[in-house]
Amino acid sequence: MSRETHPPSLLEQLGARTLHVVDVAQSLIGTLWWALRSSRAPGVGAQAVVRDLSARQIFFTSFQALPMISAAAAFIGATLTAQTELLGGAFQRETAGKILVAVVLREVAPLVTAIIVAGRSGTAIATELGMMRVNSEVLGLASLGIDPPRFLIWPRLVATTVSVPILTIYFSAMAILSGNVTAFLIDSHGLEEWRVGAMLALSPLDLPLVLIKTVGLGLLVGWLCCYYGLDVGSSPTEVPQKASRAVVASLFACIAYNALITVLFYWLFGAAVT
Amino acid sequence: MIQINEAEQEPGVTLDRVHFGFVTTELLGGISWELNQGQSAAILGASGAGKSTLLLVAAGLIAPRSGAVLHGAHPLERLSPSERVRRGLRIGFVFQDGGLFTNMDTFSNVSLPLYYHQDALGLSEQAIQERTREVLDLAQIEERHFQALPAHLSFGDRKRLGIARALAIRPNYFFFDDPDIGLDQRTANVTHQILSQLKADPAVTLLVATSRTKLIVRLEIPGFELAEGKLAPAPERSQAPSGWSIPPRLIIP
Repeated sequence: MSRETHPPSLLEQLGARTLHVVDVAQSLIGTLWWALRSSRAPGVGAQAVVRDLSARQIFFTSFQALPMISAAAAFIGATLTAQTELLGGAFQRETAGKILVAVVLREVAPLVTAIIVAGRSGTAIATELGMMRVNSEVLGLASLGIDPPRFLIWPRLVATTVSVPILTIYFSAMAILSGNVTAFLIDSHGLEEWRVGAMLALSPLDLPLVLIKTVGLGLLVGWLCCYYGLDVGSSPTEVPQKASRAVVASLFACIAYNALITVLFYWLFGAAVT
Repeated sequence: MIQINEAEQEPGVTLDRVHFGFVTTELLGGISWELNQGQSAAILGASGAGKSTLLLVAAGLIAPRSGAVLHGAHPLERLSPSERVRRGLRIGFVFQDGGLFTNMDTFSNVSLPLYYHQDALGLSEQAIQERTREVLDLAQIEERHFQALPAHLSFGDRKRLGIARALAIRPNYFFFDDPDIGLDQRTANVTHQILSQLKADPAVTLLVATSRTKLIVRLEIPGFELAEGKLAPAPERSQAPSGWSIPPRLIIP
């Protein structure tokens, strides 16, 4: 007797989708929770091993990314300055300086830095952790009494969360320097006005804004990439799939988080900044 | 519940109504089984019967779908891997496919758990170095390979490195997945000799998964057959082949 199968109804599909989303959300929160919890576990030896790992991850995520960040910042600084200059009479040079600082420091630098970290280190994190799953290395750690969240997730979370703010400040400095040079090359006479505009655009509130943004962006990149990396099952073909999903999810989350913080910031402190 | 050896002994590994499976198949169908502390046993079964899965569940490396796994009196689900070591549950697990850390050299593969548990095990820097060399020597890994990545080692060396790593923290629970698989003569000798010594050590509870009965005959340990998710005592086997002995130089540190 053959059993007749029906395609799932819309309601069943919706239910299955909801369950999947709840499951992913639970696992995501679990990943972060276990990493934070395990980082507080006792053990002087473990602390030393994890500290060493974190330092190496920070070196890889921030220091080794400097050439790429420098190039991106220089191009973006030059492009923005050239564009504002091209608008000609519509803007004074002072305004051009203000625009560059406001746009670069508050918006472009945090987001582009996070995108570079996600593309560079995020892919590496997801791929490495995925391969470790496939090769039974994660089980190997657990078998030796080494907590995988502490050994694998925590150092990577620390690295991305520390590196994005540092790289953002570096990016901003390089972009403003590049804008300065571009402004000078276009018209050396109005350079002082451009500098005054750039200085006037800075607000004391920029520091907390940039910090909140960059720490959050770094955490998002590390968190999502660790989650997708460790979500790999036993097949090597899953590794590139999960790595790609990790980067796409990180980029989307970063763009959404950046927009959310900007809107909240200007809603709360807009008058003070302008 | 299936229990082996004398009832008055302390429990070593306890499986209590353990279920485990994947979407369409149930590999472990409510297994209740106990292996006393300091005793040894082998899980036998056809390829795909779930021997490796049972070993991973019994070692507390994967959680059962339902039921409980205990080492001594400790339910493993409540303890993180490092908490187990702090409570004196030191596990050694030799994986079928190695499970070695691919981005660490041979020496670091073995010394990592010693550094990680340095305070719990009470080891100095010098003691860590010495013990690492000791177990690498025991597993007959040549010194010229100490700085090599696992990918640059032969299959036999990798297998023996897996054994050395599992022995590093002086485990009192030792799990060995398929010790017979694809071994050269040297690795086979080292493997069997180490297993024999672990079996003879009253502090070590030893569980081996294998598809070959020759090993359990040599080791003279009881076998349990895993089939269709159930575990049952395996039928008696013939005696160990004559002429098989343990070379005296191998002493587990």
